[in-house]
Amino acid sequence: MRHLITLLFLATPIAVSANVVETAIDTHILPRFAQLSDTSDTLASAAMDDCTITNPQLRTTYGQAFDAWISASHLRFGPSETDGRAFALAFWPDARGKTPKALSALIATRDPIAQSADAYDEVSISARGFYALEYLLFDDNVTKDADPEYLCTLVQTITADIAQTAHDIEQDWRDNYIDVLTSAGPGNLRYQSSDEATQEVYKALLTGLQFTADTRLGRPLGSFDRPRPKRAEARRSMRSLHHVMLSLQSLRALTAILATDAPHIANNLDVFYATALDVAQTLDEPVFAGVADPSARLKIEILQQAIQRIHEETTLQLGPVLGVAVGFNALDGD
Amino acid sequence: MKNVLAASTALALLSVPAFATETSDVLTNYANIAHAKYADSLATARALNTAIDALIAHPSEDTLSAAKAAWVDARVPYQQTEVYRFGNAIVDDWEGKVNAWPLDEGLIDYVSTSYGGPTDENELAALNVIANPSFTLSGKSIDAAHITPELLAETLHEADGVEANVATGYHAIEFLLWGQDLNGHGEGAGNRAATDFATGDACTNGHCDRRAEYLKAATELLISDLEWITAQWADDGAARETALADEKIGLSAILTGMGSLSYGEQAGERMRLGLMLNDPEEEHDCFSDNTHNSHYYDGKGIQNVYLGSYTRIDGTEISGASLSDLVKAQNADLDAEMRGKLDTTMQALGAIKTAAEGGFAYDQMLERGNEKGEALIMGGVNGLVDQTRSIERVVTVLGLEGVGIEGSDSLDNPSAVFE
Repeated sequence: MRHLITLLFLATPIAVSANVVETAIDTHILPRFAQLSDTSDTLASAAMDDCTITNPQLRTTYGQAFDAWISASHLRFGPSETDGRAFALAFWPDARGKTPKALSALIATRDPIAQSADAYDEVSISARGFYALEYLLFDDNVTKDADPEYLCTLVQTITADIAQTAHDIEQDWRDNYIDVLTSAGPGNLRYQSSDEATQEVYKALLTGLQFTADTRLGRPLGSFDRPRPKRAEARRSMRSLHHVMLSLQSLRALTAILATDAPHIANNLDVFYATALDVAQTLDEPVFAGVADPSARLKIEILQQAIQRIHEETTLQLGPVLGVAVGFNALDGD
Repeated sequence: MKNVLAASTALALLSVPAFATETSDVLTNYANIAHAKYADSLATARALNTAIDALIAHPSEDTLSAAKAAWVDARVPYQQTEVYRFGNAIVDDWEGKVNAWPLDEGLIDYVSTSYGGPTDENELAALNVIANPSFTLSGKSIDAAHITPELLAETLHEADGVEANVATGYHAIEFLLWGQDLNGHGEGAGNRAATDFATGDACTNGHCDRRAEYLKAATELLISDLEWITAQWADDGAARETALADEKIGLSAILTGMGSLSYGEQAGERMRLGLMLNDPEEEHDCFSDNTHNSHYYDGKGIQNVYLGSYTRIDGTEISGASLSDLVKAQNADLDAEMRGKLDTTMQALGAIKTAAEGGFAYDQMLERGNEKGEALIMGGVNGLVDQTRSIERVVTVLGLEGVGIEGSDSLDNPSAVFE
């Protein structure tokens, strides 16, 4: 099966009610970015109250804000792409270890740029956002020689920068992008037809599935001969499997919205999500350390396959109903 | 599978009406241009080989400069081939041999102390094979007394399954000619002295004979790899036959190559991410400071594949039926939009090239807070992102939704992948 020739879709698209995109905005997109703003504010406040990296309140609020981001992390178009905001919140994977290097450099030189969140948006994305903050809160190697006062400032600045970015995304949606996405048609420079608006949301769904299967799971899995447990996402804070589940829950909700006009397909796909989530729930692998153990590895591979199956079924079943192409996404390329 | 093929072919016949422009002519021209680009890449690589022979025979600043100039020239046709990568599995499976990037150059030769040693991701990041005639790799003892094309291709390249272990191709040669660029965001490229290839007491940084041996082996390997891929696009070549086998799949291959290179690869991975990391190592040709040309000719390749016209290194033009003609017959507005956006991108990439040639190097543009640099790079990124949207419209207008291409996630039907 080297040469792939796939079935052309013979199904005729049914009329997709224009309000699928509106429903997605109202019940999926806006609530998630509002939640991200709120939890990020709480995180920034906790850091202002007590910036000690072991402060339980700081760690709890960090977890809640990071949850909110992961639940919105598939929505990488429009406001989250403008000014690279999604990258500023979440630079991962980090194949060349840039985050610890960048943080160590800031700490070693006590770089004054950390004095203000406004200035901090000039800093490399490797030293911003949730993944950089994870190193500060959970990786002793990066922080052990840090001047406590500077470390405190850095934690406060990074959390304030996260909150600012979260609000920028939410505000941009409310002030601007709701209009852009819902006014699709001739004269709209971004979306020339309602199909293009639907395609944007559909692409976000597929890209999210692909990222969770190929990157969140695929990176630590590596190959059988060379598993890569250290590449698991947010393993320092023990969040790797948790992220897979949060992402699946969010993508499941978005699938239900996109399949509103085809209840049968909605049901079909929902069963695949239930299967994948069941596998995830029974997995005793918070950071996928078992990738190096043949029997534990098999269970992690089964989870990955269950998500790949959702992706496959989505393109086979939902794609034709929506009548839109898969298009290009940021994961194309190397 | 036979039924699927039949259904696909039948539908293709039904949905592609007869135009003045025949799809088969478009695909033939696409293959002709591929062949010309790879043949030009091969010719310029041979010129590089001659220059490297001269450098090794008589190491001097003059022969080193001549070799560097030959390398820069060799990149011009090669970068224009990158648009063939993502749509053509034969190219995509092969290209890592010649253009893998980024690399942990400490695998190959000496590096500055600031480079660091082995990392979490790569235990071989500082192996330095030029200084070590034998070493251990994944528990096995390796005899590297002679640095041969086989040693580079079969043992060192992607050693330990780490992609950053790039032992072959343009960027390995680039590192050996220029050395590390230790200027950070400041002026200047890598500054290797010609005496790194000198014999006897004149040799600097040790092991000059092995360094020359490595450079020669990598260049010979580049030539044999380019010979192979050029043959794939010749009259009876496998890449050509695959591209011409099915009209819909052939058109999808063209568009997949254009869209994946524009968006995920060039606008995303190579340009925007590097800018947001503010890291001088995040430039595609980081030793030579030739990144502006790499980006420019990548963009040019996308444009000339759409327009069906390529100007060879000797000035002759390969031109014929184009995707542009096909689109125009279906939707003239969309064709005008597509051509306009490709032009806009080329102006933006041209502005980066002009600025870099005027002394504002790409690694300087990446510096934190450098607003002029950011504006220049984002101009290119925005152009590439915007043209991708038009490429998606072309996919729709030509009725290519759901046509699967191996080797790319885009436009791909994953069901086939898992079968």
